[in-house]
Amino acid sequence: MELKFTLNGEKRQIDIEPRKLLIDVLRDDFGLTSVHSGCDTAMCGACTVLVDGKPVKSCNLLAMQVQDSEVQTLEGLFNEHRMKILKKSFLKNHGLQCGFCTSGMLISSFYLLKKGRESDDDEIREAIEGNICRCTGYVSIVKSIREAADILNKTSLEELEMKGEER
Amino acid sequence: MSTFEDKVNGRGLFIDDVRLPDMQYVAFFRSEYARARVKHVKADFTSRDLQGIAAAAGEGSESDVRTPFREPILAGDVVSYVGQPIAAVVGRTKYEAEDKLSEVEVDYEPLEPLVDPEGAINSEPILPDAESNIIAENYLGKDFNVDASVVVEERLYIPRILTNPIETRGLVAHYDGNNLTVWISTQSVYSIKEAFSRSLSLDPDKIRVIQVDTGGAFGLKGGFYPEYAVVALISMRTGKPMKWIESRSEHIVASRPGRGAIGKIKLYADTRGKVLGLKGDIIVDAGAYDTGMGSFAASYIAYQLSGPYAIDRQYIHAVSVATNKAPLGPYRGAGRPEAAYFMERMMDQLAKRLAIDPIDVRLRNLSSSSFVSPTGLKIDPARPFFERALREMEYERYRGMKPGVSFFVLVPAASGGEGCKITVRDGLVHVWLGGSTHGQRHDLLVSKIVSNELGVDRGSVVYELSDSGELSKGIGAWGSRTAIVGGNAVIQACRKLKDEIVKEKGGYSPSMLTDLDKSVEVFADFRGSLNSFGANLATVQINELGQVDVLDVVCYYDVGRAINESVVREQIEGGTIQGIGQVLSEKLAYGKDGQVLTSSISDAGVLRSTDFRGRITVKIAEFPSDLPHGAKGVGESPTIGVPPAIVSAIENVSGVKILNTPIDPLSLTRRENE
Repeated sequence: MELKFTLNGEKRQIDIEPRKLLIDVLRDDFGLTSVHSGCDTAMCGACTVLVDGKPVKSCNLLAMQVQDSEVQTLEGLFNEHRMKILKKSFLKNHGLQCGFCTSGMLISSFYLLKKGRESDDDEIREAIEGNICRCTGYVSIVKSIREAADILNKTSLEELEMKGEER
Repeated sequence: MSTFEDKVNGRGLFIDDVRLPDMQYVAFFRSEYARARVKHVKADFTSRDLQGIAAAAGEGSESDVRTPFREPILAGDVVSYVGQPIAAVVGRTKYEAEDKLSEVEVDYEPLEPLVDPEGAINSEPILPDAESNIIAENYLGKDFNVDASVVVEERLYIPRILTNPIETRGLVAHYDGNNLTVWISTQSVYSIKEAFSRSLSLDPDKIRVIQVDTGGAFGLKGGFYPEYAVVALISMRTGKPMKWIESRSEHIVASRPGRGAIGKIKLYADTRGKVLGLKGDIIVDAGAYDTGMGSFAASYIAYQLSGPYAIDRQYIHAVSVATNKAPLGPYRGAGRPEAAYFMERMMDQLAKRLAIDPIDVRLRNLSSSSFVSPTGLKIDPARPFFERALREMEYERYRGMKPGVSFFVLVPAASGGEGCKITVRDGLVHVWLGGSTHGQRHDLLVSKIVSNELGVDRGSVVYELSDSGELSKGIGAWGSRTAIVGGNAVIQACRKLKDEIVKEKGGYSPSMLTDLDKSVEVFADFRGSLNSFGANLATVQINELGQVDVLDVVCYYDVGRAINESVVREQIEGGTIQGIGQVLSEKLAYGKDGQVLTSSISDAGVLRSTDFRGRITVKIAEFPSDLPHGAKGVGESPTIGVPPAIVSAIENVSGVKILNTPIDPLSLTRRENE
């Protein structure tokens, strides 16, 4: 079947088996290996991507279900300021140990920050509830997200865009 | 390895990211029964085509496994656990391989499985050539009679727990007609290499094992599995690279869980709480085959059962029993958490019986001088540490909250040493260790040590993952050992490099080093045992439904010398949540028919971000070891110390006696209802 969708900002068209899962199309057909398979049952969140701006677990979605939709993986969010700040904060605060859940964690965190609400620890914990991390006990992840949120709250987006890389 | 910058950019190289030209995919057909005769199998690859034994490897596998308990790489006439591989198929894609599984034909004749380890001790053997289901049996210490005013006796139980790293097992194997190269997610390329050699009777010089980014392990990935041998053999048959990635459902039924231990413990004490003697049975549910850890675990728990306490008389019967379940493996702590849980629970029961403060009972049994237990466990002077721990954890401040407290000793698996290779090339210092990271940030450990020793900046140190083609001899990363023996190996390699440069050039400077093209390799031996003492304090709140909220966990752990304090702290935080999980929810459940009842990672009880919102307070104690960097171990401390402290707090707050984990909330409401 023919799947037409927007992937990381580019219009894509691909002929796939109708049973193929989104995660496999992203990894195998487009080489987007930030998307990790952890549980096959939509429970661990390692495969989280954005579909039309919302976090979705790509291991439990047929690729055909994103027909005409917009899909963004971690690779496609490379230039997003919020994501840059999140990544820096994860690195600084050791928001990862083995790094396997990290892509999904970053996507869920990005969605939280993009919603632009004030983020206390409880809200952060709710936002990443669908992403399991077996290494950190979530402490350093919550800290990473909070620090990124604090930076964003202190700085307007325009300012961030101007400063760009230095932040 | 890929850097942490790579990982936050989604550019890690995990095993499922490894792709070779013409690579094919292996899928396994697994037993649907816990015990059955296999009358007929039709598949691409069966036990008739691929023969071999899964060799024991990794932590706990020092001794060779006895013949009747060795696991065949594909089941032959009998299957002995749900999930046991019976046949393998190959496809050009993952989808094709899985489709082919539906074409596999297996005829079974179901047999009555043995699921309960205690019952299995005296039952007919589950394996055809075995005389009994006893995989290993030992008596530790010496039998005794003692005149004791109080005898406290309990049966305690920790069920099997899945390791559940977010990345499952996986490998790519390629045989080019002469050499076998394996890329794998692992804790030790050396245990894997040796096991390949033994399982497939291959010359070790023709095997190269390369570790790729490893997405967590927790004990799972130090061992060798039947699937690994099958994947390599299929590559040898076909000449094509073969990949296998475990699904989570395969992980649940067929990987090796840890824990699964029963302790029937008897404490003989005087009226003041001094323990005069310790007797007990340790029964380990080893599963259908021995993996090394299966036979090792029971005696290992018995050996360290008395923990930091000076108990003069001990007599412990340790038995590992075969049951119709997946073989046992190590899970973070591997025997240490079981021992500490049993002993700490017993100390609390003794305190309750005598109506003495549990802290006083513990202090009464700690010595201010060194002690060797009747089982051979060497303990440093323990009492001063724990007196200090109570102050550091501010026990008095928490007293009104009815806190639970635990004392323990972590004896890291440091013995045997570790290997290290350093290659200086193009101005960069590349470092390989025998045991490499699966999440512990060994990169920071290595760069700090190399920078201290050689005077180069940390940025020019490149931490590499293990590769048996680079470093020839190594051990592996488990048992809280890498900071200790891995760190020491890095120091020895740096010093050797420096000495050689001084000999060749008559002097040393960092810039002389980085101008060179040079390599050194060392194996830094280490014999002897270390003590990392630790203490925990926990407070909880329980609602009317019996749901437990863990409020505070305070950790006071001796790490020797913290090489990187934030990494130490983060290891403790991560392990603390695993410890809470063990108490509140983690369990691999089996039915009476041996079917696995746990169906997903959520069902297995792994904690999510919202399951614990309490506070973890980490206080690091530094009593350096005699090694040049003073390090001890910390990776397993929280999974040892946190569970008994939390259980104790729950018992104190609820008034309900707790012997087993995970705790059923209903059991905590019973008291009010009755």
